[in-house]
Amino acid sequence: MATALGDEGTARGARRGDALGRWINHHPLAALSLAVIVIFCLWLILAPWPQGFEDWFGRKRLFINALFNGITLGGLYFLVAAGFTLIFGLMRNVNLAHGSLYLFGGYMGYEAGVWTGSWLLSFVVAFLCCAIVGAAMQILIFRRMEGQDLRQTLVTLGLSIVFADLMVWVWGGNAIQIDTPDYLTGPVPTPIVVALKPSGDAIFLQYPRVRLVIFAAAVLIGIGMWLALHRTRIGMMIRAGVDDRDMLSVLGYRVQLLFVLVFAFGAGLAGMAGIVGGTFQSISLGEDSHFLLASLVVVIVGGMGSIPGAALGALIIGLSEQFGLVYFQNYATVATFVIMVVVLALRPQGLLGRR
Amino acid sequence: MALSDTGTARRPIGLEGDAFSRWLSQHSPTLLLGLLLVLLPAAATDFVLDQIVGWTLVLGMIALSLMFLAGYGGMVSLVQMTVAGLAGYSITVLGASSLPSISLFWPWWVAAPLAILIAVAFGTLAGALSARTEGIYTIMITLALASAFFYLTLQNWSIFNGFNGFTSVPAPIFLGVNWKSPVPLYYLILFCAGLSYVAVLYVSRAPFGIALQGARDNPRRMEAIGFNVMAHRIAAYAFAAVIAAVGGILLVWLNNQISPGTAGIQATIDLLVIAVVGGLGHPIGAFIGAFIYVILRTFALDALVAVGLDGRRFQTIIGLGFLVIVLFSPDGVIGIWRRWLARAASSRRGIGR
Amino acid sequence: MSSVAERIAAAGAGNAIELRGVSRLFGALAALNDITLTVRPGERRAVLGSNGAGKTTLLNCVTGDFPPTKGTVRFFGEDVTTLPPHERTRRGLRRTYQISLLFQRLSVRDNVYLACRGASRGRFSLIRTRSSDAIMQSVADLIVLVHLEQVADRLVGELAHGQQRQLEIALALAGAPRFILFDEPAAGLSPNERGDLVAILTALPPHIGYIIIEHDMDVALRVVESVTMMHNGRIFKEGAPREIEADPEVQQLYLGGGHG
Ligand SMILES: Nc1ncnc2c1ncn2[C@@H]1O[C@H](COP(=O)(O)OP(=O)(O)OP(=O)(O)O)[C@@H](O)[C@H]1O
Ligand SMILES: [Mg+2]
Repeated sequence: MATALGDEGTARGARRGDALGRWINHHPLAALSLAVIVIFCLWLILAPWPQGFEDWFGRKRLFINALFNGITLGGLYFLVAAGFTLIFGLMRNVNLAHGSLYLFGGYMGYEAGVWTGSWLLSFVVAFLCCAIVGAAMQILIFRRMEGQDLRQTLVTLGLSIVFADLMVWVWGGNAIQIDTPDYLTGPVPTPIVVALKPSGDAIFLQYPRVRLVIFAAAVLIGIGMWLALHRTRIGMMIRAGVDDRDMLSVLGYRVQLLFVLVFAFGAGLAGMAGIVGGTFQSISLGEDSHFLLASLVVVIVGGMGSIPGAALGALIIGLSEQFGLVYFQNYATVATFVIMVVVLALRPQGLLGRR
Repeated sequence: MALSDTGTARRPIGLEGDAFSRWLSQHSPTLLLGLLLVLLPAAATDFVLDQIVGWTLVLGMIALSLMFLAGYGGMVSLVQMTVAGLAGYSITVLGASSLPSISLFWPWWVAAPLAILIAVAFGTLAGALSARTEGIYTIMITLALASAFFYLTLQNWSIFNGFNGFTSVPAPIFLGVNWKSPVPLYYLILFCAGLSYVAVLYVSRAPFGIALQGARDNPRRMEAIGFNVMAHRIAAYAFAAVIAAVGGILLVWLNNQISPGTAGIQATIDLLVIAVVGGLGHPIGAFIGAFIYVILRTFALDALVAVGLDGRRFQTIIGLGFLVIVLFSPDGVIGIWRRWLARAASSRRGIGR
Repeated sequence: MSSVAERIAAAGAGNAIELRGVSRLFGALAALNDITLTVRPGERRAVLGSNGAGKTTLLNCVTGDFPPTKGTVRFFGEDVTTLPPHERTRRGLRRTYQISLLFQRLSVRDNVYLACRGASRGRFSLIRTRSSDAIMQSVADLIVLVHLEQVADRLVGELAHGQQRQLEIALALAGAPRFILFDEPAAGLSPNERGDLVAILTALPPHIGYIIIEHDMDVALRVVESVTMMHNGRIFKEGAPREIEADPEVQQLYLGGGHG
């Protein structure tokens, strides 16, 4: 879509008369600068960089790596934040134990991987374990304090403290790395030029296969969730509940079942993300708060209760973190922070959130 | 958000003209406690003064700023520890530390007010951002801001000296007193804590405080009777930030160091635990919560080992205790105490008849 | 062009409330549909209509609780369409709510005090109000006016429903109102209290106008000099109480519709 806009939009917009065209017609300057930016970004990614530009901006390899790492990290953040935003949207429960579920899933997946030797199976185990914990939380605790959002949130806080300590007890404080299965190890060649050899031959980017596969899986899960929310009965009920709390009472007793399902699903997703995180980086003490924070920021930026918002937010935050790490190390989190503050100031409900 | 019940609400607005003795009897427990604290250095060791009572008072002050926002304003702001931390870092950077490459070594009477100003500006800004959204969003936004600050201090070496932070941040010498030594430092802390306690209590019955409680109960009606609710909330954040900032400076002087952990995510959450466990219904709750926390932190390890448990499970104890309070006495220890008093009073009445 | 606008503005200055082409949408539902309405200073007007006619929404647009989707609202000649509610209140507009919106965890006295404070200066004051201050006298007077002196120091959350409705009225009378909007003030009151309400309304100084939404005809038609009938977000009839009562269309739509 963005390319179309850059290439032809300005000229044809008026004749087409569609929304995009109208927008371009009304904001010709914005459209032009957007087109320039898009073309510039494409050039940044695809073309080899001239020497002078590299001297000023840094090596292209760094840039491309930050870009790919940012996007794939965004995929991971999406997996964690999607459950968080659904639980929040439907139940107004800010689940501060969400990071603990992520960590727990990572550890359980690791154990399952060690036992069964199957990386794929560990996802099932992590999902189930976390889903059971999530469902238990909803059934045993939160059902009893419906409507008291603050109290629910405080309970999740208490749980996160206890969970964190118990996990340190069981797994200790050392970082655990989950092995990538053989069929996913190694790099994939991509058609992106990162540099030119002195001979003039292009060096192409090699990127870890596992990260690409997982990113694809995250995208698939995202699309699957979107379809489930928009095309199935249960998804419609969830969306209705997110948009209008009063709708929930119409559902009667089934609303409890819905809550448990959503909580379990969101928790399970966080658990699976734990394995992804353990494969990408590692899982250890403190990662629970890191990913809780990531979920918070993703959801604040993207819009509370919105799945596309979570995807957009995750992408933005993943990219800003990775680029921050490369280009202004001392202030890497400031970029994330500034994005959040700007969004809050201009659009308190988040980029794709509704009021 | 019915987590607290501000008991002060029942008191009529102006009765201060009444007899001094009335006032005295009403406040006798507070005055007694105050007297005890003033006399404490005569009896207590330096360890008790600084590590127990000093810590309690400083943490209590910072928790008090959270209590003010949450109890009176219904805004559970997790950014108060960050405000304190920023004040602490500011005075370290502007004032003295063991790192001459970063610290500016300005005199304390420049550094301290500037540090408070910076921290209050930050606290107010955080308030302005989160006050635009309602209720539960406040927790999310302030927690995110607090974590962002934590990671910033962790990653930034040019100002915050990263993971290491700063050591040797002594309290200054002025008026001929070395405020670094335990007893003067204790009195300085006691004075600031006492002052902020009285200030919060007083303001809670002043127009500003009552209006804040009104905005907590019903922001829409507040607008309809002529109050600018946003402005009131932001002003409350500023007021609370002053208390937290002073607490943060005292915290650094007491600890003689500051590092990312001082205002880390753990510390942020501990502060909320302190305020909630103590009770959000009355300013004293902040100090009660801080006292329980400090006692647990100091002695739980030994106590746990003594009864044959793993001393390292301190956090589990904290978490479980917090859960018990939230589940069974949402108004904290104060709530338990109030109910106990009420029951005692009613049973006494029963016997009397 | 501008002279027309000026003339309209000048004409509007004579009115306490003037709505022009006001619409309010909730999603696809037009709760108000192109409403034009003027009320003179000191005029007392009833707004009648069946459930969901848009009466409460009309008040919300006047006070700014929900700004209109379209149209302009003028208050004593001034365009207040985009002003926040508290600014309108400071200009002398007051209202009550159909479903009580009170400060549940504050005492009755504090509730009334806040209403008086909101209409005056010193809203941010950090200095406590002394019991000898003039404002405390007006607070006490208002409490007596609505017969709540017995429970003045009780928490509002502990009051009976009828008492809360009384307090609701007291909050709207605080300060020096120029115009008051009452949203079904008699709902939930006992017959006795209704009598008191009628007495309070008729005893208001003549320069204070009001709009009252009321299903109870005994109350509504006794305390107003003009009536506006609403249906489905539109005004379909305006007139004196007698004309309205006699109008067959009105009787069929509203008076005969089971409301009493
Ligand atoms: N906040 C809101 N969100 C969505 N719809 C609303 C809202 N407020 C009112 N409505 C709708 O607008 C229409 C008009 O409502 P309004 O409350 O103004 O009616 P009313 O005349 O006051 O009725 P009643 O006699 O029941 O008080 C109704 O259909 C109502 O459902
Ligand atoms: Mg109504």
